[in-house]
Order: sequence, then C-alpha cells, then structure tokens
Amino acid sequence: MDFYSFFAAIENSAIGTFVRETLNALPIINVFHVVGLSLVFGTIFMVDMRLIGLQSVSRPVSRVAQDLLKWTWVGFALAAVTGLLMFAANATTFYVNLQFQLKMVALVFAGLNMVVFELITARNMAHWDNERRTPPAARFAGFASISLWVLIIVLGRWIGYTKGFNFSAPPAGDLDLDNLFGAISLVQTAVG
Amino acid sequence: MMNTKKALIGGAAAVGILAAGVVPGLAHHSFAMFDGSQVKVFTGVVTRINPDANHLQIFFAPLDEARQAVLRNDNGEPQIWAVEMNGAAQAAQDGISVNGFPPGTIFSVGLHPLRNGQPGGDRGESALYKCPENTPPAAGEHCWDLPESTSHGDGEIPVEGELEEEYNPDQNG
Repeated sequence: MDFYSFFAAIENSAIGTFVRETLNALPIINVFHVVGLSLVFGTIFMVDMRLIGLQSVSRPVSRVAQDLLKWTWVGFALAAVTGLLMFAANATTFYVNLQFQLKMVALVFAGLNMVVFELITARNMAHWDNERRTPPAARFAGFASISLWVLIIVLGRWIGYTKGFNFSAPPAGDLDLDNLFGAISLVQTAVG
Repeated sequence: MMNTKKALIGGAAAVGILAAGVVPGLAHHSFAMFDGSQVKVFTGVVTRINPDANHLQIFFAPLDEARQAVLRNDNGEPQIWAVEMNGAAQAAQDGISVNGFPPGTIFSVGLHPLRNGQPGGDRGESALYKCPENTPPAAGEHCWDLPESTSHGDGEIPVEGELEEEYNPDQNG
C-alpha cells in the first residue's frame, strides 16, 4: 500500500481541490476549526479539573460531565469535519509533516485516555461521585487529558510554521529526471 | 429558548465568516527570510506543488544552460529548488495549481533567494511563464522567449543579479 499515492488522491479529489482553490474557503474553515477546538478544550478542561479536584467540587462528577461533555462532542465533531477538509486540501504536505504526525498520535492517546476512563475508572463512579477527592486513576485521567489537549493545540499551531520549504518531501508522480524529454534527449545523445 | 439558541449559533457563524473575510489579504509571514536585493532566474521542471493555503510553493529541478538536462549537485543528484508565491486560492486564479502545473511542467520564474542558503525563494514581482508541454526553450532562453508560452499572474520579466533598489513588500504596508 503506497500511502503517498493514497494521500495524493485525497489531495486531487474534488473536495480537496474545491477547498484549496476557492478564495477564502480555507480561512473560513480554519475559523470554525478553532471554534470547534475551543469548545472541546473549554468544556473538557472543566470536567478534567473536577476529576483532579480543583473545580466544582461541591457538585457530583457525573453531573459536571453530563452538563459539559455533550458540548465537547459538538466541538469535536466541528473540529473533525473542518480538520478533514483542511487536510484534504493539502494532504501530501501534511502527511510528511512531523508536527502533523505527532498531533495525530497525541489525538489517539487522548482517545485512549478517554476509553480507559469510561470503561475502567468510571465503572465504580457511584462510590466517589460526590467526593471532593477522586481516586488516583480518575485524577490521572484528568491530568493526562489536559496535558494531551494542550499538546494537540501546540502541535496544531506548530504545523502552520513548519509546512513550507520541505525539501525532503518526495516528488509527486513518476518523473524521470534522467530522461526528461524522451526523444529529444536521445537525439542529443546521438549527436553529442 | 429554542429561538435564543438559534440566534446564538447564527450570530457566532456570522462573526466567524466576517472575521475570516478580513484575513486572506494579509501575508502570512514577513519577507525578512528572503534577500530582496538579489534575483535568481530559473527555467526548470516541476517535481511537486505544495498547495499551501498561505503560500503556494512550486518545487522544481532547474534546467542547465542548454535546457536539455537538469542541473546536478556534486553527488550527481538533481538539484531541487522551490519558489514561493501567494496562497493556493489566489494562485489558482492565475492557473497555478496542482492540476495546472503537474510534474514535468517546464516553467520560468525569478525569485529572491532565502537568506539561510536553502535552495528556495520568493517570487516577488517576477513574471511566471509556462512553456508548451515537453518543449524546453532554446539554450540560454526562458519560457517567456517562446511565443506559445502562457503567462500566469502579474509580474515583470526578471533579470538575474543584484537590484538597485531592494524589494521588500513588508515596507509597503
């Protein structure tokens, strides 16, 4: 499986071309990506702070989560859709960009952290729902979540300053620089 | 309650679109990384386009003086240069795009080189011409010397060397 060709196909898709070549499409999409991300971080930060025990400690953890996490998912959906659109516009460049790769890894870890919390740590939440001091695993989940989302934001901004002048990116398509003009080169060789 | 929610969402969307509308006219980074006193002129073969939203870049292998083969470094590998210009959407208006300049396209451009010595530069006010397919110009000539070539975007035919007046778009507000 040649990943580069796969991402080149995404870049050359109708949607990628539309986003890339429509005036002001990318800045507008980028604005909504930031709006989505702000919703994600703003809401999940408050839930994580409750897990750590630094915020809303008089309210049950389940209640804080119930109030806020639905907006986390709204924000995530918005960020994911706009992110995919921006990716499609320039997929081959993002694919070889280290900061983008690290951001995707951090996103996967944020997802794993959430899954572990939901499936294991939160199973006995009834016991500590109203406690100010949550169990170590819950505090760790909150701390890890905040750390990973800050890292995702840092890497996301960093991409914007690292995706130009990348001389290590492979050439697009099959270009034979040794035999550029076919017949012309052959004539040159015969004459010269 | 429902109307308040709709109004909020609508308002946020309107503000977002308005805010985005004022952004694209501005350059994304300072010109300071380029040497505006120098101009290098190339005729080369496109190897890759980076259709970046802020600055589209064409990566290319410069052709030798005879316009028959690519320039090579001391190890025998083709040299690769990159020329940067306005954003992908603006460049597309001038026909400069991934599909318009596929690998193998022969074109000519002038650039202000990077100060850090990397093989790249900014197009500045240079003209950019595309040769007819698989048709390099004659020895020592450029695509703008071929009548069948196409011009892409505004600009003047560049002259290699040092400028009397340094080009710096940052100073022109």
